[in-house]
Amino acid sequence: MKKTIHITVNDKPFDLEVEPNQTLLEVIREKLCLTGTKAGCLVGDCGACTVLVDGKPVSSCLILAVQADGKQITTIEGVETPQGLHPLQTAFVDKGAVQCGYCTPGMILSAKSLLDRNPRADEAEIRKAISGNLCRCTGYQKIVEAILSVSRTSP
Amino acid sequence: MSWITITPTLHHSSTPGLILMLLPRFQYHEPATLAEACRMMAELGGGVRPIAGGTDLVVNMRRGAVAPGHVVSLGRIKELCAMHLSGRTLRIGACCTVASLAGSSDIASQFHALNEGALSLGSPLVRNLATAGGNLVTARPAADLPPPLMAYGGTVTLQSSQGQRLVPLDQFFVGPGRTVMEPSEILTSIALETPSPFSGSSYIKLGTRRALEISIVSVASCLTLERPGGRIQSARIVLGSVAPVPMRAEDAEKNLIGEIPSPPLFAEAAKVAAGESKPIDDYRGSAQYRRDMVSVLTQKTLQAALERANASE
Repeated sequence: MKKTIHITVNDKPFDLEVEPNQTLLEVIREKLCLTGTKAGCLVGDCGACTVLVDGKPVSSCLILAVQADGKQITTIEGVETPQGLHPLQTAFVDKGAVQCGYCTPGMILSAKSLLDRNPRADEAEIRKAISGNLCRCTGYQKIVEAILSVSRTSP
Repeated sequence: MSWITITPTLHHSSTPGLILMLLPRFQYHEPATLAEACRMMAELGGGVRPIAGGTDLVVNMRRGAVAPGHVVSLGRIKELCAMHLSGRTLRIGACCTVASLAGSSDIASQFHALNEGALSLGSPLVRNLATAGGNLVTARPAADLPPPLMAYGGTVTLQSSQGQRLVPLDQFFVGPGRTVMEPSEILTSIALETPSPFSGSSYIKLGTRRALEISIVSVASCLTLERPGGRIQSARIVLGSVAPVPMRAEDAEKNLIGEIPSPPLFAEAAKVAAGESKPIDDYRGSAQYRRDMVSVLTQKTLQAALERANASE
């Protein structure tokens, strides 16, 4: 039996009819067509499906869409501002922190959530914050450097 | 990591590597009160599963290991999501997230081992969803919260439409994945007494990586001294991942009571704790390695607990 949920995604409100067995990940990708959120392992191990729910990073493959009713959700598509790319996105490009790109949306959202709470986060805090996001290409160094470059320049 | 398999059939026993593209179908219920939730659990019978954070249930459904007909969400029941310290009792609602435990100043200041346990569970993405109650009811031998909660003598409250009962965590776990809970019962909260003055505690998890790891061995210790620099008044040592259930090393605890703390005393207690453990061989480590690590972690946690007890007021 379908349920109606009300969620806000990237500041836009949506009323959606969802099946109880649909995850938030499926609804974001297939109903809202926001395919920046990636489907990886589907069992909460890889972090490719990271979104922010009320500002906190979570694996969207582990949440039923019905559980997200009433929540504020940010996906990678909501990170860019009217002025252009978010500083984290610019830093990932500049520092070569993207290779295949599959982990990138999750990495940027985990990093954004950290810097929103703690704009001057140090390297150890950054490594902890992205510890649930797996990258198989870069060895993490360039990702950490990109995030660190934003935290160093924050006021 | 597993291959994605599209399959039209439901697998009720877990097939290694199987990942269902679609979760099995179920009816979803979202009670607003505990009484309503208890009534649903009783009326819906055997095919019902409660869901809190979902980090275990959704994964088990995805792997085809369970396919409940009904899922009852506990996440909107306000009283299950509260944590408060009143007098000397800290009451943690079952639906408090592990991240909220890790971020609690009451826990960080008075329950060090629990703070360490919460911070070592899963990853930030999992901790923002996973709940305190969920980490208990799933009864995994390697779970991170049971050892510290048992080290503080934690008690859980179980509620059903028939009434309420309190169960000390020492008596809660029966075997891997099994507890004393009846199918219609809901774990509503965990109560801990604030340790007496001159107490300290510590939890150490041994794994091969620091995030998203299942413990090879974990140990939580809590010590209370009669005064800073004085004799040991009470001691609790709890071992994880080395028996079918998280277990107290009671003989090792007895060795400590009434003694002046010292490295040789802790080394002896650690040896006794290793002897009490009942580890198995598996791909994460051999039984012999685990026994040796029980000894190492017991010494380290006792030493850290002692330093914190001496520094406490």
